[in-house]
Amino acid sequence: MTRRWVGWAAWLMLASCLYFFENNTGTRAVLLCSLLCPLVPPLRSAFFSPDRLKQTETPKPLTVSSLVLREAEEPGDVRAYLPGDPVNRIHWKLSAKRDELLVRPQTLETAEEKTKAEETGTGEEKRSRSKRLAALSLAAVLLSLLLLLLIPEANRGAQALCNRLFSASEAVNAYAYDRFSVSENQPVWPAVLLLSVMLTGMMGVLIASRSRLLALTLMGGCAAFQAYFGLPLPGWANVGLLILFALWMARRLWTRKEALSILCALLIVSLSVALIWPGVDMDTEAASERARDWLNSLAQQAMGTVQEEPTGENEVRHVHTQTLTAGEGEAQAEKEYRLMTVEEQQISMPHWLDYLKIALLLLLTVALVVLPFLPFLWLNARRKQALEARRVFESDDVNEAVAAIFQHAAAWLNAMGYGAGNVLYRDWPDHLETLLPTDYAERFGQCAKIFEEAAYSGHEMTEEQRETMRRFLEETEAVMRAKADWKQKLRLKYKEGLWI
Amino acid sequence: MRPQMEKVLGEVEKVIAGKRAVIEKILLALLAEGHVLLDDVPGVGKTTLAVALSRALGLTFRRIQFTPDVLPSDIVGFSIYDRETGGFQYRPGALNHAHLVLGDEINRASSKTQSALLEAMEERQVTVDGNTYPMEAPFLVIATENSVGTAGTQPLPYAQMDRFLVRLSLGYPDYEAQMTMLRDRQGGNPLEAVARVMERDELTAMQREVRNVTAKDAILDYITRLSMASRSHEAVAVGVSPRGALFLDRAAKARAYLEGRDYVTGGDVQAVFRDVCAHRVLLKENISGTTVEQVLDELLKKVENPDRRGLFPGMKKA
Repeated sequence: MTRRWVGWAAWLMLASCLYFFENNTGTRAVLLCSLLCPLVPPLRSAFFSPDRLKQTETPKPLTVSSLVLREAEEPGDVRAYLPGDPVNRIHWKLSAKRDELLVRPQTLETAEEKTKAEETGTGEEKRSRSKRLAALSLAAVLLSLLLLLLIPEANRGAQALCNRLFSASEAVNAYAYDRFSVSENQPVWPAVLLLSVMLTGMMGVLIASRSRLLALTLMGGCAAFQAYFGLPLPGWANVGLLILFALWMARRLWTRKEALSILCALLIVSLSVALIWPGVDMDTEAASERARDWLNSLAQQAMGTVQEEPTGENEVRHVHTQTLTAGEGEAQAEKEYRLMTVEEQQISMPHWLDYLKIALLLLLTVALVVLPFLPFLWLNARRKQALEARRVFESDDVNEAVAAIFQHAAAWLNAMGYGAGNVLYRDWPDHLETLLPTDYAERFGQCAKIFEEAAYSGHEMTEEQRETMRRFLEETEAVMRAKADWKQKLRLKYKEGLWI
Repeated sequence: MRPQMEKVLGEVEKVIAGKRAVIEKILLALLAEGHVLLDDVPGVGKTTLAVALSRALGLTFRRIQFTPDVLPSDIVGFSIYDRETGGFQYRPGALNHAHLVLGDEINRASSKTQSALLEAMEERQVTVDGNTYPMEAPFLVIATENSVGTAGTQPLPYAQMDRFLVRLSLGYPDYEAQMTMLRDRQGGNPLEAVARVMERDELTAMQREVRNVTAKDAILDYITRLSMASRSHEAVAVGVSPRGALFLDRAAKARAYLEGRDYVTGGDVQAVFRDVCAHRVLLKENISGTTVEQVLDELLKKVENPDRRGLFPGMKKA
């Protein structure tokens, strides 16, 4: 459900992009159609209720005429109950009236379904047919691609086609590009033929694979193509395409009647848009122009060319288009003009920049003197911290020392990723057993008990227990050090400050 | 486990098989001087358990079957005019002189009666006509509750639930326990075989010792953080009350004592947390799919345990 809405939103975005960059009556109609899409009931049900296929047993709408018909037909519709008839077929009302059980024979709907199923063949057959279609289409795609690459005529034709596309494109005109080197009057029909075969084949693959998402992708591709190359199809063609894709996307769900109503709805929208709101919308056109200029300047910045003066923008673009249409002689002039502007900018550079440079240089010198010593200062600070943390191990309060030593050992385990997280230490051995030797886990458990006594009881701990703890810490350190690689060792030493 | 308590457990287990954990928790409540709310279906052996417990501990047992027409005076006693002396004479109720009271189906009683009982539980004394009569020292109420919604019940208000230390459930016995039970009862009533293994004075002495169990600041801090976290949990409408925190402390002490320690560890708090807090936490009404147990488990997981924190002043957090 949400995926469908996202798909619709994506399509809507593409439609609005299309409208923004190529605004005319056609694109406007497309945008409106897309907007209205969820409002048209059959469309909505087709797009936004995925369970429709499952609900095969939806009751027929009750209309006055159907009610009348049913009443009239009823006596002929029923037959006597025979053992084995499903209970839900029993016509209770009539049965009560006539004092015998009466059963409705198969309804018309189900009979219809049956014939339909017979027509289309079994699912198995259908599947093999669609497989064959997919294989054929794929073969066609590959073959035409191969031919397009191998036959020089076709290849050149494709290049010429590209040339025509490029030269027709306004958006591409904004950039400098090299066209393919083929003659202007190279015939393009073989390439067009092969490409159309390819497209049809791809459509075939998509249809055979029964994917609606692919239709949406193609729809997006179509819109993006139009927007990028600035080659909008006429309004009616766009509307037609949209309808085609929409029909395709929902093809399994629609009856003929619904499809017709959708077609009518789309047609009405397109016509009313054309009547009420024809031609180009100047505001949008201006905004579109501005956006394109901004994109151009961004692209130029990215390519490293000098940005033009904002006041000269229109002029520059003028020169630009001239260059592109008139050929290479003008390109030279363009380059010279750019050099000139760069020189002008350099001459007008202010003097305070020099002071800034000097200040920067001074700063750099100081940094160079200080920087080599910084790591040592930092390392020393870490070492001091680590020593500070260990000072409590020698504390007069033996309880505190014992608890601290054990927590230190646990910190080692934590730092190495063997810790059990927010679990009491006495419960750690179960977790440790899976990762470390069993006898170590056992010792951890014993020490955890000592730790609990030291931390939570009022008992005085003995020096012996401190010694036990210290031995346990040494063992932990040894085990962990053996397991650590050099990166972990560095981290333990300098980040965690566990290891002196 | 303390050997004495082990003995008590052994005696009680003669009659109730396979319910060691629940019996342990009831002993824990007894040691912590709290009261127990049993949430159970009929016929799982609540009365038998209470009788066996009272026999093993040498306590007086009293059973009150609550019905809508039980009056407060039935429980706390009443004063009656004595013509010979010309004054009022106090007639003790069901609670007086009883150590172990089983209040059966407490939610069938009227709220007036309920509050009389719960007040007696809390204060450990009853006041009738201005005279105060204290209860005898070990005083444990095991109240049972019918599943709420049955006809003719008065659900226990939240404020009164809060007065019970733990809410437990015996539940049905498993296959083994059921077989043992049936086998034991072939000859006679095993209740007869329950021997007195402890004196009343010993029990009161134990209760005193429980009160003297050490709970360091780190533990109190843990209890405080747990109860505060329960109040600010997003699924919780009413969290653990300050009384709940107090009870948590007491129950943790009792558990430590039962385990044979004289100091509370984080493990003790964690072990009693669910039983002590499950009936004190009310979830928000619009939260579905979350149970109180899940919330409590989440709190135990989320709230940092005391082991990991700085345990002594001046010690860096581990």
